[in-house]
Amino acid sequence: MAINLNAKTTGVGGLETSADNSGEINIQSGGTTVMNVTSSGVAVTGSFSQNGAVYSTQPTFRNLIINGDMQIAQRGTSATGLTNGDTGYHTVDRWKFQHTGTVTYAVTMSQDTDVPTGQGFSNSVKYDITTAQSSLSAGDSLLFSHYFEGQMLQHLKKGTANAESVTLSFWVKSNKTGTYTTELLDADNSRGISKSYTIDSADTWEKKSLTFAGDTTGAFVNDNNTSLALIWWLGAGTTFTSGTLATSWEATNNANRVSSSNVNLADSTSNYINITGIQLEVGSTATDFENLPYDVQLARCQRYYYHLTDDTSSELVGAGYWGTTTSARGAVYFPVTMRTSPSLSYSSGSHFKALIPGVAFATSTAIAIYKNSEASSLLSITTSGGTTGQGTHLEFYSSPATTTYLGFSAEL
Amino acid sequence: MITYKLVNDTELNTVCSITKKIDGTEVMSIPLVDDNTDYQEYLEWLAEGNTPEEAD
Repeated sequence: MAINLNAKTTGVGGLETSADNSGEINIQSGGTTVMNVTSSGVAVTGSFSQNGAVYSTQPTFRNLIINGDMQIAQRGTSATGLTNGDTGYHTVDRWKFQHTGTVTYAVTMSQDTDVPTGQGFSNSVKYDITTAQSSLSAGDSLLFSHYFEGQMLQHLKKGTANAESVTLSFWVKSNKTGTYTTELLDADNSRGISKSYTIDSADTWEKKSLTFAGDTTGAFVNDNNTSLALIWWLGAGTTFTSGTLATSWEATNNANRVSSSNVNLADSTSNYINITGIQLEVGSTATDFENLPYDVQLARCQRYYYHLTDDTSSELVGAGYWGTTTSARGAVYFPVTMRTSPSLSYSSGSHFKALIPGVAFATSTAIAIYKNSEASSLLSITTSGGTTGQGTHLEFYSSPATTTYLGFSAEL
Repeated sequence: MITYKLVNDTELNTVCSITKKIDGTEVMSIPLVDDNTDYQEYLEWLAEGNTPEEAD
């Protein structure tokens, strides 16, 4: 019970009041409570504004997903011919092309500009089938996935009586209508839960929302390694579809991971799927997608991957010294602390050069990590003509500038 | 085919990183860090009975 102060919207209008001794007041419009006042505080239903500025009632950083709007693609905007053995990160940051089994299909994965109208998105991720596999073998699959560190998930209280439910929401578009499956896979405790959804209309953006119950069994390890995977099953063989879909948390049983009705997106070169606006948040309600500033989203991605490229020709890599006459070293400092000491990928071992003071530059034949941490990397190039102990700096070798890069990866 | 080659610290003459090769072409340099997933793949490769090339 409460005292109601209601601005009537029927008849001649006016203020309607009711009285009790609860110490609680409801401020109502047309009988609908928009503000509730009690001894413990004020609760507002709907938007709350001051001088025309609407305050968000949702917590910031509520989206557990990084780069859910697919706006960051440090590695590049398109990767063609993804097929057997190509599980990994290829285009949009934090999103992994993945398969099981020995597949024969091929996919172009790209950062696309096809987005749902009026939702504020600029990009989506697209899987476009370029070589079909009409029938998947038992152990085959086609996946799109996102991996989470355990230390990012402790507020889910997994493995306790207070375990939180989470809600996944996303926009999806495909020519191929039918049943699809998404899965939360607990890598620490080998447990999982799956939910199916349907794409109802071909070539039409649809918003989907799926709530996964909290799991009172098996806590996430509080560290920087993988604890959870979120997986879109875009095709699956009978190894994964022959049981009963695990719509409640259970010990991982491959047969129960995917709906027996799941489509095989790979069965035709006419097939594609676009996805964007992916949000995973605590609770049973899908709130509006949380837009983060570009620089914030980029920094979050750079915890897992940092791409350094030769944008301007002969761009600096880092300052350093000649370790030997044939080995020049230069330090790269990462813009954010990475998840762990990263691996180094590169366009070619011959795409770099080191200054020989007063002489010229010496070009490289190989590059490798010399010392490494989460914060920086000392790179060593193999070259010639230096003087041991002399200072130097490393640069990108100017040709070909557009395809020259260093990639530091601390992905999960 | 994936193979690996050890890389030595030229001052201390100890292994400082591992170079990953695909079909003989160097594609990645990997630190010796347990949390690094590329290093984890290298350890799995070792566990399968493979042996890396020695450092120069």
